[in-house]
Amino acid sequence: MPKAIEIEKFSYQYPDGTAALSDISLSIEHGRRVALIGPNGAGKSTLLLAMAGFVKGTGKVLIEGLEINRKNLKKIRTSLGCCLENPDDQLFMPTLFDDVAFGPLNMGLEGEQVKARVTDALQTVGLAEMADKAPHHLSAGQKRAAAIATILSMAPKIITLDEPDGSLDPRNRNNLITLLTGLPQTLIITTCDMNFAASLADRVILLDDGRIIADGDAKKIMSDSYLMAEHGLEVPTKMK
Amino acid sequence: MHHAYIDKFAYQDSPIHRLDSRAKFIVLLIFTAVVVSLPRTSLSILFCYAVGPVAVLVMAKIPLKFVFKQILLVSPFVLVLALSCPLYDKTPVRVAFGPFFWRTTIGWMRCFVILGKFVVTMLALISLVSTTRFGDLLTGLQKLGLPKLLIIQLGFLYRYIFVLIDKVHHILRARNVRRLKNLGFKRELKIAAAMLGSLLIRSIDTAERINIAMQARGFDRTWHSLSKLQIRRCDLLFALIAIFFMLGLYFFIKPVL
Repeated sequence: MPKAIEIEKFSYQYPDGTAALSDISLSIEHGRRVALIGPNGAGKSTLLLAMAGFVKGTGKVLIEGLEINRKNLKKIRTSLGCCLENPDDQLFMPTLFDDVAFGPLNMGLEGEQVKARVTDALQTVGLAEMADKAPHHLSAGQKRAAAIATILSMAPKIITLDEPDGSLDPRNRNNLITLLTGLPQTLIITTCDMNFAASLADRVILLDDGRIIADGDAKKIMSDSYLMAEHGLEVPTKMK
Repeated sequence: MHHAYIDKFAYQDSPIHRLDSRAKFIVLLIFTAVVVSLPRTSLSILFCYAVGPVAVLVMAKIPLKFVFKQILLVSPFVLVLALSCPLYDKTPVRVAFGPFFWRTTIGWMRCFVILGKFVVTMLALISLVSTTRFGDLLTGLQKLGLPKLLIIQLGFLYRYIFVLIDKVHHILRARNVRRLKNLGFKRELKIAAAMLGSLLIRSIDTAERINIAMQARGFDRTWHSLSKLQIRRCDLLFALIAIFFMLGLYFFIKPVL
């Protein structure tokens, strides 16, 4: 069975020549919850965009054994759901129902199948009663959950989430942790909050300056106070 | 977000809210065309036309205070146009209303008719927007054959106008917390231009990210939708009553002012 994600010697430069990602090689098995941690500007979000085929560099990116290219892109985007940092960018339709139905409709599903997918996804994130609401009527926590529902309705095997804990209060953050830990999919999450990463991830990839600094067991990496401090991060409270 | 929404009452439930968006939209179109085509001597008839949208608003339980606030909000644009009429047309005219009469100018008559038509059509527009969810309206417009591209643009406009207003508020707040004195017209103009530039760049960034979000969910420039609309007898009855009301007023009621 092919791995969920395999990246071989991937490098990417911004148009101005700045190296965003350098010589990235990694592989992620199905069912893992991986946190991409690192200081601001480390290249975490760019790496997520590369996994979804929005950033084209040198090297290979394979999603479920399929190399990212024009031919495979549709299939890849069905199996890999990409959730952006700002839910306002993710929720662009007039109602929540339409937003969650957008992906399944593009997959070519029919009316009843789409409705079932939307109902399931909204129930999973606890927004079943909000289907007819406009996204701008939702709170920050609800918007985050709704953004995840837009991905869940496509039933992907892999989900990437860019800073999903951003601007959430502790209660909403805990709700999000409960939601994400209950998902069976492979999760790849970028975050600057080490407590959030420690609550979710079983594996951590530490990025800095576009390079992989450390990759391995979450507890082992995040409890290394010297390593964490060297890259502008902190040890999670429960590991101190 | 702290600004008022134009569709604040669209999520209520009433017989008017339950009507098909296509029926309401077609009635609004005909109503607007009829009101706009009224002659300049029809000021008194405009009051009769106002009865229709006011009845709809009352049946839909939309507070009239909210409606008049919305009208006031957009009135400056029309006020400029209406108040300029008395300046360029000073032809005297004798106006009679039953046993009463007085002298005025055609410019002032035009001014009041423009304001009257504005208020009546705005009442009708607000009664549509306040009783129809925007998603249903877009689906209705798509069913009526409007180009898909236009529907997509309208959907994005509705979704992001609130986000854009929020951004404007944030930029203005950031400016005001550092504004210690008036810097003069030229300097203020430069700052305003810089703020607009920043807003434009942010909007372009947002558009790029939305494009990524759409493509990530399989968008291939084809717009798919699940239609939930169905014309029922009550929708047809509403449209017929409204059209008879309008045409009745248009053909059988003579202006008295």
